[in-house]
Amino acid sequence: MTDLDLERLGDVWRQRPDPAELEELRRTAEAVRRRALWGQIIDLVAAVVVAGVVLLLALRNPRIETLLIGGSAVLVLLWSHIRQRRMRQIEIRGLTGNTEEMLDQSIARVEATLRRTRFQLIGFVPAFLLGIAFAYAADAARITEVLARISADPSLRLLILAAAAVSLAGMGFHLVRVLRRGREELHRLTSLREAYREERESSLAE
Amino acid sequence: MCEDRTGALPREAAATGGIASVNGGIPPFDRIVAEFGPLISRIAMSYEADPALREDMVQQILLAVWQALPSYRAEASLKTFIARIAQNRAISFVAKQVRQPPTAEMPELVESERPDPEQVAIDANERHVLLEATRRLPLPQREVIILVLEGFDYAEIGEMLEIAPNALALRLSRAKAALKKMLESAP
Repeated sequence: MTDLDLERLGDVWRQRPDPAELEELRRTAEAVRRRALWGQIIDLVAAVVVAGVVLLLALRNPRIETLLIGGSAVLVLLWSHIRQRRMRQIEIRGLTGNTEEMLDQSIARVEATLRRTRFQLIGFVPAFLLGIAFAYAADAARITEVLARISADPSLRLLILAAAAVSLAGMGFHLVRVLRRGREELHRLTSLREAYREERESSLAE
Repeated sequence: MCEDRTGALPREAAATGGIASVNGGIPPFDRIVAEFGPLISRIAMSYEADPALREDMVQQILLAVWQALPSYRAEASLKTFIARIAQNRAISFVAKQVRQPPTAEMPELVESERPDPEQVAIDANERHVLLEATRRLPLPQREVIILVLEGFDYAEIGEMLEIAPNALALRLSRAKAALKKMLESAP
């Protein structure tokens, strides 16, 4: 049994690609770069616009409530940007590290998604009802009036009930799908990590 | 393509994997794509046979390279840096797919200006067989074989995968044995 000639196989592997295929790759890369750049620009412009609008509202109506709500909105925006940036850095660190680290990181990400989705699945109906209760507590007279108007019109009532049922069912279906896909991805990632561990441990054993 | 293992390159060009940087910084993205596009394309091909999914994978690799470039420090060559991102992104992409690893047919890259169509067909077939065999290897072995076929030396591969030389030698020896078996059983 002769050994594989990896030098020769390497030459076969690295055959010069078709110029048309290279041109296609160049176009794809340019489109990806442009899209990513525009994404960054849009994110930045949106953040500046939101912060500007909040500031303007606070200046026009300098009451403590406006300042509190405006300040909170800007803080949430800032926190979301910092979080997004940190997550991207973590992802990049994973991609530039070794495969097992990348797999560990991917597993942690999928597990976090699964936890969040389970929480959403359990909580989305109570959250919906809680929202209605809060609205009622905030302005009972107005809500009673709206409910009375809906009750008075059977077709409107039917329409609203149907819309609510479809929205809730759609949300539930979406969350169940995310859960199922997440579980499948987690299974594949853990199997892969296991394969790498076995490979490493068997190397140490020999 | 300057993809030899031992070719001496100027210091700066060596750090960037063969392409000179602009003002000592990272080379522009379009030059990186021109130089390392084939490497990215081959890595994507060795993980995904379905052309539509492979296109998605290539886009994700390119995006990851673009996003990661500012973090590149010339501790390793740019080629190593890009190959590592491409491999990791390809593996995470494969893990996301619902179905099992595909076996769909795919057009292979061949040099269009070659004069001898018979030789083109032989080479294309050999490459196709090699790709098919590589795709059937377990991922830890596939990763090593791809890097060897791409022309990385063992020190670079060990550094990239963060494994000791003897562990790398053992993994490579298993990968070679598995690949040989698959190539021999290929029609």
